[in-house]
Amino acid sequence: MGDTDDFYDGDGTMESLPTSPEVTYNWVDITTDFFKHIQDLQLGELLHDGNLFGLFEAMSAIEMMDPKMDAGMLCNRGNPKPLNFQQAVMCGKLKIENLEPSEIIGIIDATVACIVSWLEGHSLAQTVFTNVYLHQPHSIIDKPLKAYCIAVYKLLDCIRDCINKAQVFEEEDFLPMGYGYRLGSNLQSGNTYDASLEVSEQKCISMLREQEEELNKKARSQEDEAELWAALAARIRFTRMFYQALLLITKRDSQSGADCVALLNGCSEMMKVIIKTASKGTQPLENSDSPNPMGFEPMINQRLLPPTFPRYTRIKPRAEALQYFDELVSRLRHAWKITSCTNFHTALDFFMEFSRQRACILSRSALQLLYLSPSPANTASMAQSNINSPQGQRPQHAFIEILRESIKSFVNPPVLNMKPGVGPNPAVREFVENFLVRCVRPFAVLVQVCGHNRARQRDKLALLLDDFAALQEEADSVDALVSGAGSPPRACFGTWVLYHVLRVMIAYLLSGLELELYSVHEYHYIFWYLYEFLYGWLVSALGRAEGLAGDRKDGKKAVRKKKRSRPYAREGLMCQVMQNMCGGYFKALVAFKLQGKIRQPQSEFDNEAVRYKHRFAPLSVLTPPQVHYLEFCEMTQPLQYENPVILYVAGCKHFQQARTFLETITTPDQEVTDLLKVAKTNFVVLKLLAGGHKKDSTTPPEFDFSVHRHFPIIKLV
Amino acid sequence: MSDSTVKPIEDPKAVTELDGKAKLRKWLNMNFRIEMTDGRILIGVFLCTDRDANVILGACSEYLKSVDGETEEPRVLGLVMVPGRHIVSIQIDDTTPSQKYYFDE
Repeated sequence: MGDTDDFYDGDGTMESLPTSPEVTYNWVDITTDFFKHIQDLQLGELLHDGNLFGLFEAMSAIEMMDPKMDAGMLCNRGNPKPLNFQQAVMCGKLKIENLEPSEIIGIIDATVACIVSWLEGHSLAQTVFTNVYLHQPHSIIDKPLKAYCIAVYKLLDCIRDCINKAQVFEEEDFLPMGYGYRLGSNLQSGNTYDASLEVSEQKCISMLREQEEELNKKARSQEDEAELWAALAARIRFTRMFYQALLLITKRDSQSGADCVALLNGCSEMMKVIIKTASKGTQPLENSDSPNPMGFEPMINQRLLPPTFPRYTRIKPRAEALQYFDELVSRLRHAWKITSCTNFHTALDFFMEFSRQRACILSRSALQLLYLSPSPANTASMAQSNINSPQGQRPQHAFIEILRESIKSFVNPPVLNMKPGVGPNPAVREFVENFLVRCVRPFAVLVQVCGHNRARQRDKLALLLDDFAALQEEADSVDALVSGAGSPPRACFGTWVLYHVLRVMIAYLLSGLELELYSVHEYHYIFWYLYEFLYGWLVSALGRAEGLAGDRKDGKKAVRKKKRSRPYAREGLMCQVMQNMCGGYFKALVAFKLQGKIRQPQSEFDNEAVRYKHRFAPLSVLTPPQVHYLEFCEMTQPLQYENPVILYVAGCKHFQQARTFLETITTPDQEVTDLLKVAKTNFVVLKLLAGGHKKDSTTPPEFDFSVHRHFPIIKLV
Repeated sequence: MSDSTVKPIEDPKAVTELDGKAKLRKWLNMNFRIEMTDGRILIGVFLCTDRDANVILGACSEYLKSVDGETEEPRVLGLVMVPGRHIVSIQIDDTTPSQKYYFDE
């Protein structure tokens, strides 16, 4: 075997940094002189080469001996140099054969903890590759452990592939760097690359399967340790099924659906066993940073890290890591459901709902890949590069068909229903097709944005609004052309785009509440904008869409149309709920302000017009046009002279109304229940306020977002 | 303007620029080797200092203290600031003529 290669140079299996050409120095000690001379400097005075180096440059230096900045500090705390694979094997610290099952279980569980830490945004070098066994998996003699270590390589590669394809991560989510560990090819043996050790996906899976059977046999034959062997078998089985499922998701064959669900269900079951038997493995020593007594060297890769690299990575505790994996599998099972969302609108709602759960990076990525193959990110960039190629050569996106269906079911424009050869002239048809092609990028990006972490979504939505602005213009001209001269234009395409634009606008404004970007004294115009305009417009867009979609069927079968319930009834209702909630907050906030209950910024530092403009800036490029600050002032002026009690009563009515709407929903989900709770509580609070409760107090009310991320419960303290 | 070239000579401050400061200024842009309290050695170009002996080194590399003569490969750090209180010793390299770190004016 190539593993026994005794060639070895220096430390570990990493390629060493290129060494600089030999320089000879002649060092002369100046310590005492130096410390004497600096006394001639004034306090705070910098001695430097004035033109070339200044305070600004000085500020960007890494501060040595600061544990936050100085990654090298930790290598040096008197710990002996970490041993690499060969050294550890040589001195008997690392067993590579005849491991006890409890030892393997410990190693596997610790590796899982490392993988979870990696998935939470730490570097591979500081997490999974602190496992020394992974440095040379082919040199391990113990078969189950060897199979597992090789599989970890394949699994890591697959995870990285999935996340890279989906492109919904930022530096805080995930670090894709491999630090020289060859993930896919799996060939760490000494320092040489040996192609004969390449393990294919199939081989990896069959290796695991083989070990699984072996271990199950052992479990049956050895009564005293049966449970241990079974626990180990469960871990190997989980690894295999998880890897297979992830391969299916990443490669995405359409016929693999049932398999993937079965595999994920199997994973969940194995995970139960694993969690139950977690205590059977060797446990990390107390006060040790190593996740397992044997096989892990937290510092082994420290010198590989770039200078400004994060300090030190604490590996997730085992119990939490196993829990994380268990939930990860459930999230993947849930994500699978996207494959049955045929309608774009349902899919988009699914994406938003999924994002709200603050899912982990791997499940967010998997969801993207499951919806569109290869991925929405890929679809968007393909669309971008193909937009100018002539029509015949354009590749057909599955996504175009999805959008076409979405438009059909939403507004049902006649032009999309005509058979070729009938109806409008080919030029019009071509025009519509072009429009659809142009829709691909913004809508694919919208799906992609929903996959990003919550904090990043806001900026990306703002950017997306620019793209949508261009699309809106195009939609209007398509509508005009399709309707032809003379007849009043039916704004089918315009309405469809408008609907999505409004939803993005609302999501943008609301995300500021969720991310706690607004100050309390800003709330009133945010809620005002949502209440007076956006939700109102959304309701009317939905109404218009229903009208347009219904239009064509009118003539044919009036009876059947009646039977069909309004498809957007619930969505329209929810919009009205939100609109009322926002109205309630707005009125309450104005009343608070009048009663001096809200702390205002110092007037000389304050310019509300500037803040207003900044808050709504991304909305300025679109139709419906942005409502400007002056208009805001004009429209809200009369309220300044209102009696606060009347405002409280009005706010109270809004919450009452929201509550009534919510209570008509027959199948309330979590969202509805939460909103109901908020509406009920705020109704009571405002009623108290209207009755004069704490009238003279200037203590600011508290806004508690713990029940709902966007709509707070008002609390009087 | 000729003003500026004449003035410094008459400027009492410049003439008496303290001895220490002038010496320090001469060392700017030369290679320094600083040993820190935890034993690590930093080699880089001396760029800046202040009264507390906080030293900024450019293009700096970190060497671990060699235990048994084996030379460890350095870790490249770039621009670093060494707080004065962590400096054990400073050495200067007098083999090379002072070389500019950025560019020659």
